[in-house]
Amino acid sequence: MDALINALLVGNGADSIAHSQRLLHAGVSVERIVIEGIEEAMTSLDEKCTVSQFNLLEIMLVGRSVTDVMNYLYPGGSLPAGSKDTVVLATMEGDIHDLGKNILKTVLMGKGYRVVDCGKDCPLQKLVDVSEKESPLAVGISGLVTSIIPLVKQVRGSLRARGLEQVKVMAGGAALKQSSAERLHVDYLAETAFDGANYLDRISGGAIP
Amino acid sequence: MNSMERVMAAVAFGSLDRIPVIAQVFGHAAIVAGVPLDEYIQDGEILAWCQLKALDLYGYDAVFSVMDVNVETEAMGSILNYHKDQYPTVETYALSKENNWGSLSTPDPEQAGRMPEMLKALRILRRELRDEIPVVGCVMGPLTLTTQLLGMETALYLAIDDPDRFGRLMDFATEVVIRFGVAQIGAGAHLPIVFDPSASPAVVPHQFFREVELPRLKKLFESFKQAGAAVNWLNIAGPVESILPYYTDAGVNIANFDYCVTPHVASDKLPKTCLDGNIKPLAFVESAPDQITTEADMLLKSFAGRGGFILSSGCEIPPESLQENVAAMVMTARNTR
Ligand code: B12
Repeated sequence: MDALINALLVGNGADSIAHSQRLLHAGVSVERIVIEGIEEAMTSLDEKCTVSQFNLLEIMLVGRSVTDVMNYLYPGGSLPAGSKDTVVLATMEGDIHDLGKNILKTVLMGKGYRVVDCGKDCPLQKLVDVSEKESPLAVGISGLVTSIIPLVKQVRGSLRARGLEQVKVMAGGAALKQSSAERLHVDYLAETAFDGANYLDRISGGAIP
Repeated sequence: MNSMERVMAAVAFGSLDRIPVIAQVFGHAAIVAGVPLDEYIQDGEILAWCQLKALDLYGYDAVFSVMDVNVETEAMGSILNYHKDQYPTVETYALSKENNWGSLSTPDPEQAGRMPEMLKALRILRRELRDEIPVVGCVMGPLTLTTQLLGMETALYLAIDDPDRFGRLMDFATEVVIRFGVAQIGAGAHLPIVFDPSASPAVVPHQFFREVELPRLKKLFESFKQAGAAVNWLNIAGPVESILPYYTDAGVNIANFDYCVTPHVASDKLPKTCLDGNIKPLAFVESAPDQITTEADMLLKSFAGRGGFILSSGCEIPPESLQENVAAMVMTARNTR
């Protein structure tokens, strides 16, 4: 397992898959590989990436290896029934900054969440439609330009109008971070992707899988 | 002193009648003039007219022919999504990793996409303002253009997986922006400001900046100087502390610093380079004029003993900013001797 964690942390996708294969052949379950391998790697990355020592390239490379291994473990992208909750992510219409959202996606996938990504420049309507279809635990919005703040403020109301009041709304990204959860009408405002993931872990604790 | 003399004196750390103030007003000029943003960024005449109007209103020390970060990539084939009151976004990138880029050629600034409109705006602005007020054009830095041609993540992964191929694309991007910038100088720009958000340490580590971006920036700025640029101005947003020391070598004469870097740190890293900054862009939307005045005052004081300073925002003044906030910054500089 340590070899897998190391391969993930240096961003070597091929080695990461090879180590996962070896573990599977040795009878280790997929769940254990995710929890003790991938989640472990994400946790140590979390500890390393303080706000002042943030290395985007490093996270991207780890993220790519994690995605490789997830695709290997779950071909076709569908997580088995009984896995963790679904989270819908988006960068709102008018904003194309998506690096932060993509990192969040990797972190959440690494923690075993099922992520539905609405992409960048995403209209509010699409976000609500997708949420209705996927009934997620939460919706995560990433915002880097201030001009999308009015849209962010509408998300919770629009979800409620579709009967989705149980869906939590969390936000993050450089522009939104300067505001507050109350002002944005969201349930949680995250400082980093890991912070957001920890919030989800807290609220999913009592939820039905 | 007119604005041009004032800015040049600040660059030379010379004596001044007052500190120059340059609000980085781009799309905000459209809002001030009551023009939809998507018209402003597609029509050089409208752009120039709005810039002149904003200059009249605020009385700061430079005007800009700046549209958005997608002009070059669109001219090279990226498809944009235009929004009425927001900057456009890239829908489809001009290049993909799988393509063969053998047939790439640099776009002709007189023909391609919105480039001619930017040149048109520069001609009008220079005709109206002659040499009294700096007329500033704009190009993307080589790394930013590369990420705008491929998409950020594809570009960054390519830099790791196939550095040679990535390097060749960077060289090509450098040629594109040199040609565009030189055409801007030919059309009347006193200088093109170089915007390079993708080179920010928020995105790539400073070692990457030093190895990959610095040599190309150097070439870019040398070419602009040769073509007659009055000065070289670089704007990289975000936590730039670790890359500021490289700016001198790059040939930068005016270095923008964002709100997350303190004046003290910026002066320390670049003791002999004129700095411009660094009021938080969001403050122009959310704060009140007296807060802006206090901020501006503190900045002027912290540079009082040093010189080599232009009062400005940390990056673009957001289009939706409150006019009284922009005015407060300008007036603080104008009222301080
Ligand atoms: C790189 C960059 C770009 C790239 C983006 C490429 C891409 N694919 O994302 C390019 C060059 C395309 C670009 C374009 C523009 N940009 Co820009 N850009 C930046 C820059 C330098 C870095 C942003 C970044 O990617 N950071 C790295 C990521 C990983 O950090 P992050 O997003 O904060 O994410 C972390 C956390 O916040 C968290 N997180 C993020 N989202 C979420 C969501 C949830 C739910 C959770 C839990 C967590 C979370 O996870 C991450 C890891 O912890 C910033 C400067 C800065 N200091 O932020 C400006 C900046 C964001 N840009 C800005 C601007 C103005 C623009 C333009 C409008 C410029 C123009 N005039 O055309 C255009 C945007 C067009 C548009 N309509 O969107 C401004 C925005 C200011 C404002 N008032 O709104 C900034 C702040 C620069 C500045 N100081 O003025 N930009």
